[in-house]
Formats: sequence, C-alpha cells, structure tokens
Amino acid sequence: MGFSLANIDRRVFYWILFIALMVPFLNPIGFPIKIAENTRDLYEGITGDSVEPGDVWIINFGYGVSAWSECHPGVTVCAKALLREGAHLILMGPHTDVELTYRHLLDTAKEDFDAATYGEDWVFLGYITGGESAIAQLASNMRSVYPTDHFATPLDDISMMQDVNTWHDVSGVLSSDTGDWGGYFLTMWQEAYGVPMAQIGIAMLGSTGIPRWLAGNYFGMSVGSRGGAELEMLIGEPGDAIIAMDSISVSHLLIVIAVILANVGLLLERGRGS
Amino acid sequence: MSQMLKREVVYAITGIVTVVMFLEYFFFPESQSWAEMIRTWSVIIYNISLGLGAVRLAMAHSMNVQRRRENWAFSGVLLAGLAIMLLTGLAGYFMTGQQTNNAIYNWMFVNVYTPLGATLYPITGFYIFSAAYRAFRARNIDAALMLIAGCFVILSNAPVGEAIWIGFATVGEWFRFTGQVPGMRTFALVGTLGMIAYGFRALLGKERGFYAGGEE
Repeated sequence: MGFSLANIDRRVFYWILFIALMVPFLNPIGFPIKIAENTRDLYEGITGDSVEPGDVWIINFGYGVSAWSECHPGVTVCAKALLREGAHLILMGPHTDVELTYRHLLDTAKEDFDAATYGEDWVFLGYITGGESAIAQLASNMRSVYPTDHFATPLDDISMMQDVNTWHDVSGVLSSDTGDWGGYFLTMWQEAYGVPMAQIGIAMLGSTGIPRWLAGNYFGMSVGSRGGAELEMLIGEPGDAIIAMDSISVSHLLIVIAVILANVGLLLERGRGS
Repeated sequence: MSQMLKREVVYAITGIVTVVMFLEYFFFPESQSWAEMIRTWSVIIYNISLGLGAVRLAMAHSMNVQRRRENWAFSGVLLAGLAIMLLTGLAGYFMTGQQTNNAIYNWMFVNVYTPLGATLYPITGFYIFSAAYRAFRARNIDAALMLIAGCFVILSNAPVGEAIWIGFATVGEWFRFTGQVPGMRTFALVGTLGMIAYGFRALLGKERGFYAGGEE
C-alpha cells in the first residue's frame, strides 16, 4: 500500500511536534504579542485607582499542577500587582495540590512576597472542599469554612484577618480555573453581592468566560497562556508565559497544517475514487 | 424504615433546604443564620463524603486485585499509592507534628505527583495534534465551515497568526467576542432553565432517581 496524505501514521505527528517544539526553546523567535481588551481590563482592575492599600483580595487557585503552564503566569502577575498596590491577599484553592501551587507562587513572585509579611499582607487558607455551598458559606462566614489557616493558626490570631469574615470585607476575587470554581464565585459573590471578580482561566474557559466579561460579570479575564503572556507584558516583567508563546505559535501552526494536509489528502483520495 | 418513609424524609429535607436557600438568596441576603447553618452541614457532609469515597475506592480496587479482574495491576498501583501517601502522611505528622507540609509527605508530593501532573496536560498537545489530523475533515459544508472558523480561532490565539496575516487576529477575535457569545449565552440560559425545571420536578417527586436511586 502506497503513501497516502490522508492516512499518515500518528507517530509521525508526535515526532514532528516533539522536534518542532524544541526549536523555540533552542532559538527563541519572539513573535509580537497583541494585548486583548479583556486582559487589559483585568490588569487595570487590579492596579492604579482600582485598588487601595489595605484592600483584601481573594486569589482562588482553581487549578492543579497540570495547569500551571496555563494559569500560573497570570496568577503570578496578579499577585505581584496587588501586593505592589498594598493590597492584602487571601490565597486558597479547591485542588488537593493547592499547597504546591501556593509554594510555587511564593517562588515565582519571590521578591514581592519576600517584601511582604505573612499574616499581615497575605494569608494562605489552604484546601477548600464543599463546592458551591462552601463558596456561598465563605461569603457569609469565612470562619465556619476556615477556622484556621493552612498552618493551623486560628484566623482570629492572624492580624490581617481580624476584621475579615464576610464578603463585606473583601474588595475583589480573582479565580484562576480549569473548571467551575470561577462560576461558583460568580453566582455566590459577584451576582449575589456585587463583589468585583475576574477570572484567569485555561484557554478552554475563554468561551464561557468571555460572555461573562462582556456582560460585566467579570471585570476582566485572562485566557490561557496567551493571557498570562499579555499580563507579563503589561506588568513589564517577561516570564514563563512569554517564553511559552513561541511554542504555542509552533504547535498551533502545526495543528492548522495538519488539518490542511488531512483535507488535501481527503480531496486527492476523492479525486482518485471518482 | 419503609421505602415510603425514606422517600418522605428526603422530600421533607429537600423541600426545607430549597425554601430556606431560595428565601435567603433572593429576599434576605443579609439575614442568613438558617442558611448558614445548612451550608455548614453541607460542607461537613462533603468532607465526610471524601473520606467515604476513599474507603469505597479502596474496597472496589481491592476486589479487582483479589479477583484478578481485567487491568487489576492498575488497581494494585492505585492501592499502593493510596497506602504510601496515607502512611507517609501519618508518619510525617507523628514525627514532625506538621500536617501536609511535613518533609516525607512533601517529598512524595513534589517528586512524584508534580512531575506526573505537569506531564499530563502537555501530553494532550500530542493527542490534539494527531486528532486534529485524523478527525477534522471537511466531509460536508457544515464540517468545512467549522474547520475554517476553528483555524481562524487557533491562529488568532497564537502570535504567529498575526505575524502571518493580521486578518487572522481580526476574524478570530470576531469569532471569540461576537460569533460564539450568543451561542454560549443561549447554552447558559437553557442550561439554567433546565436546572430550574429539574429542581421543580425533584421537589414534586417526579425525578425518581433523585429520591430512590432510580427505583419507585
């Protein structure tokens, strides 16, 4: 049986992608990145006049280790930006590996966290379970969901949390997600009480998040690694997402080429058949 | 307790919880002592269910190993992983007094779980690449239109698209910000209406699966 453009072995594609992804790592290309309006809105919502020193913001790590490449660069920029504005951060997450993500953030935004003090400028509440009910409960009584922080210190003994217990005490929510948690905050915090919120989601969440941003539910939205790269450009500190953009370009271009090849092959086969 | 009585209890609990939550959310958002109490219960039940789930999982996979069912070796790996994490977590806790951030447990998590987790997602890129080739074929007009739209969106999401032709970004953005939005909003609205309808049916006892595990 001869070679057919419509039936190339899948292993060929794996090897092509593997080799092609090596190129930008060995020799960065650096395509220009245009900043999307939804990302700019997110950045403007957490900087400048939008944030007062002492404002309390929740950052929800709704992603695990597997989505670090997509979500974490955006979260890093947001944490840096908020700390530089003098905001206080409540960090928490519904993934079992939330502690790894927290420690990764301490590393990726090291200078800003080193300049801040645990318990005064940020607090890590840790793992949350209970789905939408827990998020609703968090709005009305944080201490019933988290009597202590992740390190077993009672919230009453943490200076930053002295006057923080309900949605009234929180200026905004940033939910970084691979799934539904942004939606829970949307229903239980933004729609119910009007707490400003934004999402830093994986690329797939763009289709559900963009309508919410356009409707005004989210004041901004970062979509996937691309959103992370745009945020890194906005804060002026290139990081992992900008580095990854070349690989994204190569892989996306290869996918389109694969689709074209498959369809050219299909047309040729049809031509032969007729 | 008879099946009938069991069902009545579930009816009553569901009805009371629904009414309390409904009133709190829509009419008395600042006065929520009852709702708060119920939500606290819900969080506790959720946490108990996690433990219960782990026990059930261990039991089901133990049976797989015991009876040498198909792919029983994977069940064995799962059980070994469960035991190792449980034992290292407990040992670390008793030795250091720390919860999840004790050294032994952390070592397992950082050196085993993190690389596996970080590898899992990128691997899908390879599958998507080969799947795009095998599945995205314009066998009719509908499929062709979807393919063209998809290619525009893919290229607009990557900086290389704009570098090739600025029109990729313009058209791709139109799809993202205009083309797909009405569809997603319709989907969200219909889904929500469906949930409301489901809620009413459950309250009226017309959703049999909700009450009695699918049986009358």
